[in-house]
Amino acid sequence: MSDTDTQFLRRRWVFGLIGFGVLLGLVAVAWLSAQVFTDFNDRRAAPSDNVQWTLSQVEVDYLSYLNALETASAAQGMENSTLDLVRRRFDLFFSRVDTLAQSRVFQPLRQDDRFRLPLERVTQHLNAAIPLIDGPDADLAEQLDDLKRAALEIGPHVRTLAVSGISYFATESDQQRTQTAANLLRLAILSGALLLTLGAVSAYLLVVNQRATRRGRALRQANERMNTILSTSLDGVIVVDAKGDVIEFNPAAEAIFGYTADQARGRAIGDLIVPPHLRAAHRAGMERMQAGGDLHVVGKGRVQLEAMRADGEQFPVELALQSARAGDQEIIIGFVRDISQRVAAQQELISTRDQALAGEKAKAEFLTVMSHEIRTPLNGLLGNLTLLKNTRTTREQARFVENMEISGQILLSHVDTVLDIARFEAGKLSVALQPTDLNDILQEIVDGQSGNAASRGNSISWQWVGEAHPCVAADAQRLRQILLNLVGNAIKFTENGRISIEVEVAEPGPTAGVNIFEFRIIDTGIGIGPDEVDVIFDDFHTSDPSIGRATGGTGLGLGIARRFARAMGGEIGVESTPGEGSVFWVRLPLQDAELDANVDSDQPEIQHAQPLDVLVVEDNEINREVICNMLKLDGHRVTVAENGQLGVDAAAGHRFDVILMDISMPVMDGPTATRHIRSGGGPSAEIPIIAVSANVLPDAVDAFRAAGMTAFVGKPIALDALRKALSVVTGPGASTRSEDESDHIGDLRASLGADVFDRLLGKYLSEGDAVVAQLAGLDGGEADLDQVAQECHRLAGSAATFGAMGFRDALIAIEIAAKSADRQQVADLLTGLPEVWKRAKAALPAPGAVKG
Amino acid sequence: MRILLAALAMILTLGQAQAQDLAEPTGEVVLTITGNLTQSGAEDGARFDMDMLKALPARTFATSTIWTEGENTFVGVPLSEVLKAVGADGSMIRATAINDYAVEIPMDSVTESDPIVAYEMDGAEMSRRQKGPLWIVYPYDSDPKYQTEVTYSRSIWQLDRLEVVK
Repeated sequence: MSDTDTQFLRRRWVFGLIGFGVLLGLVAVAWLSAQVFTDFNDRRAAPSDNVQWTLSQVEVDYLSYLNALETASAAQGMENSTLDLVRRRFDLFFSRVDTLAQSRVFQPLRQDDRFRLPLERVTQHLNAAIPLIDGPDADLAEQLDDLKRAALEIGPHVRTLAVSGISYFATESDQQRTQTAANLLRLAILSGALLLTLGAVSAYLLVVNQRATRRGRALRQANERMNTILSTSLDGVIVVDAKGDVIEFNPAAEAIFGYTADQARGRAIGDLIVPPHLRAAHRAGMERMQAGGDLHVVGKGRVQLEAMRADGEQFPVELALQSARAGDQEIIIGFVRDISQRVAAQQELISTRDQALAGEKAKAEFLTVMSHEIRTPLNGLLGNLTLLKNTRTTREQARFVENMEISGQILLSHVDTVLDIARFEAGKLSVALQPTDLNDILQEIVDGQSGNAASRGNSISWQWVGEAHPCVAADAQRLRQILLNLVGNAIKFTENGRISIEVEVAEPGPTAGVNIFEFRIIDTGIGIGPDEVDVIFDDFHTSDPSIGRATGGTGLGLGIARRFARAMGGEIGVESTPGEGSVFWVRLPLQDAELDANVDSDQPEIQHAQPLDVLVVEDNEINREVICNMLKLDGHRVTVAENGQLGVDAAAGHRFDVILMDISMPVMDGPTATRHIRSGGGPSAEIPIIAVSANVLPDAVDAFRAAGMTAFVGKPIALDALRKALSVVTGPGASTRSEDESDHIGDLRASLGADVFDRLLGKYLSEGDAVVAQLAGLDGGEADLDQVAQECHRLAGSAATFGAMGFRDALIAIEIAAKSADRQQVADLLTGLPEVWKRAKAALPAPGAVKG
Repeated sequence: MRILLAALAMILTLGQAQAQDLAEPTGEVVLTITGNLTQSGAEDGARFDMDMLKALPARTFATSTIWTEGENTFVGVPLSEVLKAVGADGSMIRATAINDYAVEIPMDSVTESDPIVAYEMDGAEMSRRQKGPLWIVYPYDSDPKYQTEVTYSRSIWQLDRLEVVK
């Protein structure tokens, strides 16, 4: 800007100087022209012509005078007329000479002696003649001859006068001509110079003009380009001034907002396209900018906002603002993109994704449910096969049973596989770390698979590479599954070969105490082609359909192994040479752990020496029979109940050692029945209750525990699993509530101090006695239910404090029944309450005799 | 007859009336005007003595000339007055001096006041030796247009004849 100003100023100076110079030149030319004109004028007006005339006339007048004298002399002065003629010619001659002597024209000439001396001589003669000329005729006549002689004497002088004058004036005329010529030359030079200057100025102006034209054209082209860009831009372009009034509104903006440019121009942008609920913010932004601050969105790239069309429709836009200076004015340029379609598409995409995810979840749930539905009849089949094996059979029948059992186990493992995947996909695959001895796991796998391997002529073994490091914290079950799947896979594709398992501490892990363990399952089988290496871990991949079918695979084994490995933070892979064999490797980060020598979690000691009194609550007749037979095999005494209600009734009338409780049953389901038994205060209220269910999902298991169940056995029931569960809940390490309560009381006493604890305990006992006695005395049919609920609630709080959970649960059950006005239920529950209280008291230490 | 006499009488009366304006010179004749003159009594030429000229309206001015020394005061009759007095009707005046020097002065170059036929210079009549007795003079100093050679050539001295040419 200021550059152009400077240029403009400089050009004005240049023009001013040139103008001044030209003016000076013109003045000089005018002056010189005047000079030349005057010269010519002088030559025209100057008396030179007259001078020549006068000079030549001197001689003429002299000769006329001389002639008159001759004539008069010849007439001898007899005739007066001849004397008059003499007098007149004398006067004319005198007048002429007088002019030469007087006239300023002859002034310079008179300085010259060649002129002055003859002039003086002639003048002398004339002055001398005057008395005679003016005298009487007689004297004149008499003296005529003398006068003539004198006149003749001056003849040469008159001649000299004329000649010298003429030569002087000729010289002077020459000088004047030279002067004029010089002036003309000067005029020509100056005119030439002026012409050159004017030419140069013209050239300069031409160049300047061309440059201006060029610049104008460039400017026009730039303007046209800008207009083309504006009018063809797909984004709306809106230019506003500092006040927020629209200056430019391009065709795309017209299309987006529904205003024509003419309508939009000059209007406030806030009223035009900003939706009413955003106007306050817009105004605040404009005011901030006018106050010299920044607009939040100026120069910040694209922001997403809401805008409004002419018809009031609000829609999402992407807006980029830039500020610029146009002259001395601040303008803001907005690039607007209508993204309503994009946003709609995004939302559709999101909803489609949500639907797809929901579909996936539904699928996973479907798989889970189906697995349960398949496991239940399988439970029946496998259970009966187990029973059948224990009957008298011929050898052939025994082989059939064996075959059936193998097929059943395979089917069961497939269902388990699908269930694992379903669990994984449902996001419910959790890793449970526990101290594990890798030696045990590997040995177990080798032992378990050696038969399988031998059936295909393979040998199998395992070994540590490098230093053994068996004690780690791991999810043993998942690890076992991974290795089993890999070993099973190796056996499947190897015939008359060798399968070796190597384990090695490959490298230190990311944190202290963690090492990366590499497990390698090496076989000498058919190997895997390079094209298959990448896909071998995909679901449902079977390398050769014929082999897959023949060896009975779902194609899920490796996929599950990979899922588990990743869930444990590790990785899995394979290297193989077709025809020579394969190496599957698993790398897992495992934490070091101390193994408790006393606890063998994987192999709990199975106790079945002690016969138990068992209540089986199961609606499915086959399952019921299978369980009963399994239990009877081990010498247990079995009572059956066909649904939850019957189970509750049975438990209320007899103390069992343990209850096996199905979950889904008609009339009353397992968890409800468990709650009733726990809160009913019957003789079996505190005994272990084992859930038996096909639903082995962790949250389901948690729900069972919440209902008060002690342990869990999955369906279909295997004898081993049943035995294990029974031994856990009834064995010496089994956890019972009374144990918990004792521990809790010990803690409470320690924290309160013996005195306080004793006092509170005494209060609790007396309060419990009083309330239980009062409630027991009530007639359930007529009691004040509100009061009952209130009393039960208060006492439940105390019971919880002293860890009497069974008593507390019983009280809460009464409270709930009372609040729901179920008088029959209240009466039933109240009947059992004293017994529950008695047992709760028995679990409590006598005041002052708490162990701990 | 009576009518004829009356007409003749009228013509004579008119002739007398015109003759009053242009008098016969009584002194020495200094200027003779010939040519196309309409003034009665001047058809054959008019002659002026010094008294007759002095009787016409006079004009006086001071100017320098290229032929004299210093500034001179001239008194004379404007040429236009002289021409009016004789009823001059023509486009050109031919002026001739005693020595027969002659110049032509276009009628339209003659203004109301200039030039004058001067008969006095610096308060005295001019002798023949002083370019007298009559001299056509322009006020050279008053206007540059009078400082041209043409004007100088028309400034004829020792004037004694004028001829009005059609």
